[in-house]
Amino acid sequence: MGVSPGLATVATEPEAWVAAQVGGALEAVFETVAATRADTAAVLHRVAAEGRRPASRDLAALRPGLHLRLRHERLVSGVGFVADPGLLADVPAWLEWWQSGADDAVHPLLLDLDPRRSAYSDYTHWDWFALPRDTGRRAVAGPYVDYLCSDEYSLTLSEPVQVQGRFAGVVAADVYLRHFEAAVLPLLRRLSRPARLVNARGRVAASTDPAQLAGSLTRGPDFGELLGSGRPGAYEGLRLVPCRGVPLVLVLA
Amino acid sequence: MRQHEIDGGARRAVFSPVDSRARVEAVVRRIGDAIELGLLADGEQLPGESELAGQLGVSTVTLREALMALRQQGLVTTRRGRGGGSFVSLPEVPADDRLRARLLGWSTEELRDLGDHWAALSGAAARLAAQRTEPADLQPLRRTARELAHAAEAAARGRLYGRFHVELAAAAQSARLTREQVALQSEVGAMLCLVLADDAYREEVADRHRFLLSAVQDGAHETAGTLAERCVRESTARLVAVRLTL
Repeated sequence: MGVSPGLATVATEPEAWVAAQVGGALEAVFETVAATRADTAAVLHRVAAEGRRPASRDLAALRPGLHLRLRHERLVSGVGFVADPGLLADVPAWLEWWQSGADDAVHPLLLDLDPRRSAYSDYTHWDWFALPRDTGRRAVAGPYVDYLCSDEYSLTLSEPVQVQGRFAGVVAADVYLRHFEAAVLPLLRRLSRPARLVNARGRVAASTDPAQLAGSLTRGPDFGELLGSGRPGAYEGLRLVPCRGVPLVLVLA
Repeated sequence: MRQHEIDGGARRAVFSPVDSRARVEAVVRRIGDAIELGLLADGEQLPGESELAGQLGVSTVTLREALMALRQQGLVTTRRGRGGGSFVSLPEVPADDRLRARLLGWSTEELRDLGDHWAALSGAAARLAAQRTEPADLQPLRRTARELAHAAEAAARGRLYGRFHVELAAAAQSARLTREQVALQSEVGAMLCLVLADDAYREEVADRHRFLLSAVQDGAHETAGTLAERCVRESTARLVAVRLTL
């Protein structure tokens, strides 16, 4: 169902400000992703220049940067490069993925990627992999239960990596929803009306409305269309303001 | 270098604390099932005794008794000295016989209780998923349902059955239900191979999953919950029936 521009074409000051701040918070995470992409592309180009296929050990060069970003970007709890299956010469699939634990230490994620043993060996259908691969653009996946990597309710921000015109995999960063909520709730609380942030499919990512909590769906408006237009809208008494640069919409009851 | 160490879900559940009173049996079952499911690979070294005991929340004495039982079942070998330790070893006995031996470690009452727990988890997950998902969210479940309908090996069928219920919990948007379901599948998953080896029953499960997905997609949460519970109860009833023949 379409969204009418109507009276809401111009977002009033506090709503536009909050939407911009939310966009800014995630933009900082995307900077982490972009830095990882630059490192990954550099490694893969260097290996290509040596006239050979990359191997999993080449990706160890990413570790200092990944550890640094995990320690310094407070919203990020996991970061790394996920290879397109077939990219590496020595293994069929690979995640060079690091996570910060409860003890603030940094740990590698070691998955069983052998399809003979694991029902979860194929990661290519997850939104955080498929969206950037299929669109060629950066993406925000979730909120979703990440039972592959962290067992946490999460947002994953990802970008495709291209080497010599070919898709090589994605770089990504995990933001646990509880950390995202801690970052955006003070912003949403400044608004005079109950407010929530929803993704392109209407899934609530954070909310000050007890009747519309994270994980629920806001049905009706076409949030994808609204995000495409980049302009505020209205839907049956709801005011809808897209967040700048990220696929989230601020919804005010 | 192969990536086969601890993964985020199922394998971590293998080494989470054991809280049963029958601790030795519980440890034997937990590690034995993980080996049957392939969560621990043939030849893989288990963590050291004190570390493993700490992770499972049992005393080293209890752990040693459990390791002895696992050695007797041929699922673990222990080497002494430098480079020694306990290693996973898959015996040459057919998988079916090993699974029957494993099932024999469960009483019918315990299986009934396991079925109740599973039905509670999957029923709740189905009801919530019906309220919280739109069609695109159901793609992983549809893929798993399709793969289950075509999987030839019983072990693969067991893994896909388990994955379906983990994905259902994830579709409910609940990290807690998902973690519980992953832990439960690490217990029941291996034994389900015994009932899923039957092609007719595999078809029935595949059909039940399809009906369940339709109800979730239609937002019919009560129907979805009931269908999920029935599917799970039927599977545990079949396991109990096999157990009674042993």
